This record gives sequence, C-alpha cells and structure tokens, in this order.
Amino acid sequence: MIRCKKINLIKACFIIIVIFFLPVASAAKIYIDIDSPAFQQFPIAVTDLNNISPDAATAPAIGAALADEIKKYLSLTGIFNILDRRSFLEKIEPGNPETLEKVHFPDWSLIGADFLVRGNLLHDVKGITVDCRLYDVTRGDKLLSKKYSAPAAGQKELAKNIASDIMLALTGDEGEFNTKIAFIVKSNQSADIQAIDYDGENQHKITGHQAIMMSPRWSPDGKYLAFTSFRDGAPHVFIKNLRTGVEKKVAAFEGLNLSGAFSPDSKRLLLTLSKEGIEDIYALDVDTLKLRRLTHSYSIDVSPTWSPDGSQIAFVSNRSGDPQIYVMDADGNNVRRITFEGNYNTSPAWSPRGNRIAYEGRSGGRYQIFSIDAEGNNLLQLTFDNADNESPSWSPSGRQIVYSSKTHSRSRICIMNANGLNTRILREAATPLVMPAWSPRFK
Amino acid sequence: MKKKMTLMGIFVAVLGLMMFSGCAEKKAVVTDSTAQQPAAVEPAKTDALTAAQAALQDINFDFDKSNIREDARQIMKANADFLIKNKDVNIIIEGHCDERGTAEYNMALGERRAQEAKKYLINLGVASARMKTVSYGEERPLDPASNEEAWAKNRRAHFAVVK
Repeated sequence: MIRCKKINLIKACFIIIVIFFLPVASAAKIYIDIDSPAFQQFPIAVTDLNNISPDAATAPAIGAALADEIKKYLSLTGIFNILDRRSFLEKIEPGNPETLEKVHFPDWSLIGADFLVRGNLLHDVKGITVDCRLYDVTRGDKLLSKKYSAPAAGQKELAKNIASDIMLALTGDEGEFNTKIAFIVKSNQSADIQAIDYDGENQHKITGHQAIMMSPRWSPDGKYLAFTSFRDGAPHVFIKNLRTGVEKKVAAFEGLNLSGAFSPDSKRLLLTLSKEGIEDIYALDVDTLKLRRLTHSYSIDVSPTWSPDGSQIAFVSNRSGDPQIYVMDADGNNVRRITFEGNYNTSPAWSPRGNRIAYEGRSGGRYQIFSIDAEGNNLLQLTFDNADNESPSWSPSGRQIVYSSKTHSRSRICIMNANGLNTRILREAATPLVMPAWSPRFK
Repeated sequence: MKKKMTLMGIFVAVLGLMMFSGCAEKKAVVTDSTAQQPAAVEPAKTDALTAAQAALQDINFDFDKSNIREDARQIMKANADFLIKNKDVNIIIEGHCDERGTAEYNMALGERRAQEAKKYLINLGVASARMKTVSYGEERPLDPASNEEAWAKNRRAHFAVVK
C-alpha cells in the first residue's frame, strides 16, 4: 500500500512503479515498450513527403500537408515527441525517388530522433499514392515499407492509416485512431448523448431524449450503446442499436434502473436496480432480458464494470460506511475491497489489459483520477490539477484514459496516458460535458 | 421558504387560469351544461392537490448519508399523519443529492434516501402501495449555488403528490 499523502512522492514514483505485466498478444515485434517503467515519449522525425509527380512544382505543399496530418495523428497517441522539421540536418532531394531509401542515419541520431518516417508521394487525377518507410535510427533498421493510395479527398484517412501502421510496427497494436468517445452534454434541465472521434472531430448526436441522461456504455463489439434516460419520467435503461438506430428499453422496474458495463462478449449488461428495495447489481441477458442478481448486501452497490476476461466484476459499494471499490467473481461470490485510501472512491473502469482499475477518489476537497491493481496494490494518483476529474474510461489499447474535468466555469473531456502524463483536451464547453465512455475500435 | 412561495405562486396562477377559463366558457357556451361540469370540479381537485403538496414537507440528509435525521422525525410524523388522514393522496418520494461526488453513485444514494423515507412512512402506518420512489441524484438541485448552505438544502427527500 502506497501512502498517497505526499503528492510529490507519488509523482516521483510514477516512473518507478507503473507495472503492466500482461504482454500484448501480437506476432509483431514490439519496438516501443511504452509500458516499461522507463517509458518516456519517443522522439520521431517525419519528413515532408517527397512529391515525385511529374507536375510536382504545381503542388509543392501537398507533401508537407500530408506529413503534418501524419504528425497530428501520431501526437494524439501521447507517446511521441514529434521533432520540428526545422531541426532536420539531412535534406532530401525534391522529386528524386531514390532518396526514400538513402538515409544518412547519423544526421538523424544527432538531432535526437529515435525513429524516422519518410515517403514518396505521387499524385494524379485519380488520387494520391504514398510509398512510406519507417526507420529505427539507432539500429539503422527499416521497420515499415508500404504503399498507400487514396482519392484526392482521402488524405486524412491515408494519414490515419500510415499512423496506424507506425503504431502497429512500434507498439504491437494499431492505436486508437478508429475509436470514438461518447459523453453526456447537459444544457439547462435536459441532456443528451453525443460522440466525437478520437481526433476531436466529427462531434455528433447519438440520442434525442432531452432528459436527464446518464452512464453511456459501448458494447465491446461496437454494435450497441447502453444508457440511462429519464425520458419517461424515471431512470430507465435503454440499448441503442447503432446500425439501425433502434432503441429498446431493457429495464424499467420500480425505483432505480442504472446502466453498467457490457460483458466482454457483449451478451450481458450489468445493471444497478432497486426493485427489491435495495440498490444491488444484476446481470441482464441482452437477448432474453433474463436477470440474474449478483449482490445481496444491505448497502448501495453501483457502477459495475467487467474485467476483460469476464471472470470478475469491479463495483462501488458503501457497505463499509462510505463508497469504496470492490471486486467480486462474475457470479457474485468472493467479494473483496480493494481501495482503502480516502473515504470516497467511485467510478471504477477496468483496463482492457486486465491489470489495472482506474477510478475517481476524493483528495483534498477535489475529485481526482487514480489507478490501482485488482488486488488493491500499487495505487497511483494520475491527476493533480485544481479541478474535479471524474469518470475515467480506458482506450481499447489500455494506454490512454479519457475523463471529465470540471472547474467552476469550464467543463472538459480530457485524454491522458495511463500514467497520467501528456494530457490533451478533447472537448471543452461552458456547459457540462460528463461521463465519457471510450468506444471499441471500429473498422 | 422560497419553495412555499413558488407553490403559492403556482396555486394563484392555476386558480386564476381556472376562473378565467370558467368565465370564458360561461360566455361562449352558456347552453352546454356538460362542458361546465369539469370546470367546476377541476378547481376543487387542484385545490386539494395543492393543499396536499403544501402539507407534505421535505426532509434533509447529511452528506453521503441516507438515515432519517433527528430533525426530520417530526416532519416525517406530520407527513405520515397527513397521509393517513388523506387516504386518496398517493405520493412519489424523490431522493436528491448535492452536486458533490459521483453522479452515478449519487443516483443510487438518492434512491436510497427515497427508500429510507418510504420505509419510515410504512413504519408509521402509511400503506406501501400508495408510495413510489424515484431518484434524481444530483440532477435537480433546489439551489444551484456551490456552498454548504445550498448543498444542505439540496440533500433532500421530496414528497410529490401524484396527480
């Protein structure tokens, strides 16, 4: 148990005790072990793509624009330090396709680059083709060699695909580029669920209830979104089919009906119901709507979330007198408390990597994000700023966490690395934006 | 106090509307006696509902607690007496929280407050079937301010008369 009174101590301990011990299942060689205790951002140089088209002179900026787009996506991951093009020593010969493979590595290691991205660009009336390379500067290895084509209007998608492949080559998975974040947007007395892409673009409405809305939860297969809505005067749980748009009310018992997490196979949805007079946790079979009661304590049991292998459930209970995080087997047995620091710990979210549970806890009059392992060890405080930071939700890779951050005047949805560093604001508004939920990867 | 005023305001407004519509109807459809009957009944019913709503007082809770406080017992006794005397009044008990803490946990805490109030009234002799519960968590504060005074007011159970 790490005492978390001394924030500075914890900060210093970040680097030492971030422990992610489940390996990522992948055949690819993992170049960047970003989960290693010594992780820091990796310096990468992305050169302007060399336009080798016959009429290159008429569109000189296209190579730089595409490089900027690739850099934008890489920077979203929080694991790269993107080097400024003005620091580059090696100049490439414009229009000469040979320079793609002719790298003078000392020029890149001298400016501190660990990795180098470069590419040739060919454009015509049909669109653009990019021949791309990724090099390990230190070893002089070629890690990626691939051709991409897209219509002229598809530059953004092309840049995203290149960034995805760079992530795959270096980290063993494709990153979070094809994900969304759903959250609640409140205005006056009503609210609705909206979603936004990982890159902060394409914000769009998911529901049109204009009521109190809570707890959006994506199904891991990406087909459904469960949520709680007061549209009909009381809190009821709905499941929306994201393809057809059809919403089905799945729990409308007397009292409280509150949505929890989907099971890893997307077949069951955890709920908090008070139909027996006590707020307990139930598992709902999504097809048959059959319920199974999992907790029977005379206390509040709420906010259930599944472990990625489906064998365990983390939830909040006040059975000890104040809200704390507990873990139980998926059948409701073997309940054990895992948080002991502080007297208000809620909103657990289980990392897709299996070993960490993020949650919010009250600390110094504010709410901050913490993470802890499922056995209740290795507590880490992840946010420290003068705001209420709440509702953590993990990215599919388990490398980043989205959360809501509220000060007296501003409401933000933020993304940080799982170690609490490299925070970026995904969305900001004067009206409340709350309860973000990270989607699975969409194809 | 503010709430009483609001209720009074609604009462006066409703009464005014009723009178106005009654007059209008009298002028427009003097011969239609059936149309006048509901207009004659409605104010009485509204009157009773308003009176019932005014009689049932909110109770307050401590932070993160759902037990019925010492100072709420007198109020609960009065509420129970009123409900026992007025058997046609059914209620929805609303549980509310202050803005601090987790919205989801507060939704459960609000429900627990409503449930505790319901149980208390059952023990005082009010039939369970006349009472339903709903939690609004921290979503419907009486006072939107962020200070101790507002929070104390917002942690409440409200006894809403079913119309």
